[in-house]
Amino acid sequence: MDGEHFTPARLSRGRSKGRSWVRFGGTSWWPLILLAFPLLALMVVPPVALLSKISPAMFFRYVGTSAVAQAILLSLWTSAASLAITILFGTPLAYILGRGRFVGKNVLEVLIDWPIVLPPAVAGIALLMTLGRRGLIGGWLARAGVEIPFTPIAVIIAQTFVACPYYIKAASLGLGSVSQEILDAAALDGASRLQRFFDVTFPLAFRSLVVGAALTWSRALGEFGATIIFAGNYPGRTQTMPLAVYIGFEIDIHQALTLAAILLIISFGLLIGIRAGFSKT
Amino acid sequence: MLPWFLGCSKPPAAVDPAPLARTTLTVFAAASLAESFAEIGKKFAADNPEVTVQFSFAGSQQLRAQLESGAQADIFASANEKEMNAAKADSLVQPDTVHDFARNRLVVIYPASNPAKIGTLSDLGRAGVKIDVADVSVPVGKYGQQMVEAMARDPDFGPDFEKCFLANVVSREENVKSVLSKVRLGEADAGVVYVTDVTPDAAKEVASLDVPDQFNQIASYPIAVLAKAPQPDWARRFEDYVLSGDGRNILREHHFLAAPSDGH
Repeated sequence: MDGEHFTPARLSRGRSKGRSWVRFGGTSWWPLILLAFPLLALMVVPPVALLSKISPAMFFRYVGTSAVAQAILLSLWTSAASLAITILFGTPLAYILGRGRFVGKNVLEVLIDWPIVLPPAVAGIALLMTLGRRGLIGGWLARAGVEIPFTPIAVIIAQTFVACPYYIKAASLGLGSVSQEILDAAALDGASRLQRFFDVTFPLAFRSLVVGAALTWSRALGEFGATIIFAGNYPGRTQTMPLAVYIGFEIDIHQALTLAAILLIISFGLLIGIRAGFSKT
Repeated sequence: MLPWFLGCSKPPAAVDPAPLARTTLTVFAAASLAESFAEIGKKFAADNPEVTVQFSFAGSQQLRAQLESGAQADIFASANEKEMNAAKADSLVQPDTVHDFARNRLVVIYPASNPAKIGTLSDLGRAGVKIDVADVSVPVGKYGQQMVEAMARDPDFGPDFEKCFLANVVSREENVKSVLSKVRLGEADAGVVYVTDVTPDAAKEVASLDVPDQFNQIASYPIAVLAKAPQPDWARRFEDYVLSGDGRNILREHHFLAAPSDGH
């Protein structure tokens, strides 16, 4: 997931001893840079435009209102729960995918990619058909007195469904890339299976696990389509930040902008924080 | 997912002036108009083969927000006066084209299997009944809130009714059709929608409870040609069709009430 990144700066150090950062091995990079620019601008300008519409006074006035505070709190704890569930059950799955060799592995990998490419609204309807009161499994649960739609549990399930593949994919790559020779050497030295996992595999794959976890957390925080269909929209119970942004867009654009800015800052902060953390070690 | 962009597809900017050229008319209409306007659009297009009518149905407040953000359309039909007045205040519509064309009323629906055993309106205040409503930013959500307030003022329901009803609300949807879907699916025990939402198709899965006049809120539907309509002449003809006897007949078949005549 997070391999060596190809940057002109890095290349210039390696190949042309830092003389000019746009010229490597005699080839001009300007055509490529010009072609790369539109997409880069597309990714960079909208967040800047969004933040430019928010004054600190407005931000602090809205951030304290109960509607905004409720949405932030709900988003934070439900996404943290989704992340915990993903790590708990996703790590063994990632280990199987990364290090196992078995028939049907391709099929399993496609299944794990599926929530990433699925439109979230489709995920929401599929979850309703599964866990709704008349759903495949929800029907039994309802008879036992457990009803999931319209609850924070539904929010967590929707977020987990949509976001867990990011962790599983990153973790399986990381866990799979730990060299068998090192593990064999540890086994020769008498390390047990658990010791080998916690003392060798886990530290070596740590970076991939953390990057995957950050992606999953960001994606869970941003979940919208599956949530509004499966969990509904109720302030304090199922109205997460993205839902409050959506509803706020029509009622109070300032509230929507404030929440949007917070979401933006959290997701950027997560990605930047992780990068900074790793570059120090 | 950015559903509010769904309706933003622009009609072709340059239309060939040749008589057989196809013209696209874009109509932004409240979600509750989905069935009736689809039929009106079909009839209008049949009478005018050179025109293709393209609809974007969503909550009126959402459509108004889209128009404010620069979405291009020819016609705006809202489920309340509030959004039309806001559009008028922002000079988004041609003021002389604003006319009420229909009225609607509220109804309480519940799944045909009636899991919460709803028999009367007062059952909506019983603890544990899962009620789905539209958000108060959506016209039908606002009308629903006014309905509950009116019921709470009536001694038959009592002042606690409002509190109990609101405690039963499990979700505030962003348009009336989501409320209908969740009741049809049996996920909610009851919902507040417009009479016109209970189409013959929906009536197979949901039953309804009439809301008496003293609590019911009458929704007025205004229509207008947009100030920046790419096809202003066709837009006026479409509006005339909606207001004509044929248009009103289609609306009546879909259980809309007639709008009071405003001299059009």
